Amino acid sequence: MNSFWNVTLALLEGFGSTCLIFAATLVFAIPLGLLVTFGSMSRFRPLKWLMRTIVWVVRGTPLMLQLIAIFYGPALLFGIDGFDRVPAVIVAFVINYACYFSEIYRAGIEGVPRGQAEAGQTLGLKKSQVFFHITLIQLIKRIVPPMSNEIITLVKDTSLARIISVTEIILVAQEYTRQGLIWPLFYTGVFYLLFVGVLTLLFRHTEKKLEYIKI
Amino acid sequence: MEFLHVEGFRKQFAGTEVLKGIDFDLPKGKILAIIGPSGGGKTTLLRCLNFLETPDEGKVFLDGELLSDAKVSYSQRERREKQLKFGLVFQNFELFPHLTAIKNILLAPDLLARDRVKEQFKERRQSVKGFSARKALKKEEKRSFKELTAENKRHAEELLRQVGLSEKRDSYPSQLSGGQQQRVAIARALALSPEVLCFDEPTSALDPELTGEVLKVIRALKGRTLIIVTHEMAFAREVADYVLFMTDGVIEERGTPDEVFLHPQKEKTKAFLKHMEEYHDE
Repeated sequence: MNSFWNVTLALLEGFGSTCLIFAATLVFAIPLGLLVTFGSMSRFRPLKWLMRTIVWVVRGTPLMLQLIAIFYGPALLFGIDGFDRVPAVIVAFVINYACYFSEIYRAGIEGVPRGQAEAGQTLGLKKSQVFFHITLIQLIKRIVPPMSNEIITLVKDTSLARIISVTEIILVAQEYTRQGLIWPLFYTGVFYLLFVGVLTLLFRHTEKKLEYIKI
Repeated sequence: MEFLHVEGFRKQFAGTEVLKGIDFDLPKGKILAIIGPSGGGKTTLLRCLNFLETPDEGKVFLDGELLSDAKVSYSQRERREKQLKFGLVFQNFELFPHLTAIKNILLAPDLLARDRVKEQFKERRQSVKGFSARKALKKEEKRSFKELTAENKRHAEELLRQVGLSEKRDSYPSQLSGGQQQRVAIARALALSPEVLCFDEPTSALDPELTGEVLKVIRALKGRTLIIVTHEMAFAREVADYVLFMTDGVIEERGTPDEVFLHPQKEKTKAFLKHMEEYHDE
């Protein structure tokens, strides 16, 4: 009944939603983070302070709390139907990670010497051209290590989704625990380890690819 | 009024007046050297000319026409147009580390070509109807862009040859010496054929044995309109047609190299030149 094979299959299914949350968060949070960065670096004060306040709130409260707020909040506050479970998780994760990413981007942008943009400017480039042809790649080079860290944390943060009963891998394993079977819970660690292992190789490859840029 | 005419440049930073009314003229094809102690406003002056700073007051005339006026705010587009009249070679080269020597030179001309072609074809695209006609137009647009980039490439290669770095065409900045990097930076600035090319202490970040090769390249630019901020007194004396001595945000003394270097009138100029001489002897 609870053979190794059956447990593996069940966990794999849970791992599917883990991967879905992970991928969706990256796809939306990476560009959204950039918008947050531009906002928090804006010369338009109100926008700047709004963005910085949002970043403060999001980084200053537990992700678990944010999950609950986004899932139950709309119904409790306004009596309206909010998100379904999985979309709620994705929205919470995207907002949370976009804020963390935005600070990494900001550090990266500020780390590119001002003279680089000025050189582009004296050569008659538009602001957008300066960003996309000069700043961006140097920014990416700088942020790969801190982004790797953050993305690896994301893999494991996905387990928080079970707070609002999304069946990710840990929740599946916990079901077995309830039946008196402990080992599947520890077995989930293998899935995380393998996933993070693959990511680590990918990041190392990216760093290698960018090695030609000496800054 | 000469080819370049700068009038009444003033600039404050946080209450400190860095430029206190700068006026000067420079005829076409002549070289102006600006000397003076650090903090005297030389770099700020160059930055204002290159639109990296906006002066609080002042006008620039080029070729008899008003180019910029501190009182007028220009759109980004206008600013770019005006910016292209000037070129700037930075003290720290500021080559783009992710691009090879040739691509450093080509980046701006190719982007400019793309913008220009796009603009040229924009109107025609609106008036053309029908799928095949539009397709033909697109082909033509691509072709004319290709022609421009090919021309840019020839020009860039020629410039690399001029600065003696043809064989470093595909090297990244990190693979070049400081002197070579600065020579690429000069080629990059020349690629846009600016009316006035400015140098901000082009050799002061270099080891002494590397300054010679850069000065040689600048020397070979004689005939172009250049403004050189420099601490290399011997070089300034040799190449410049005119010399400005700037200190405390004003032009303290001006004249031909012989006038300024051999017969300085002002005490501050004399003291500065003496100081530089002693420094050089050490």
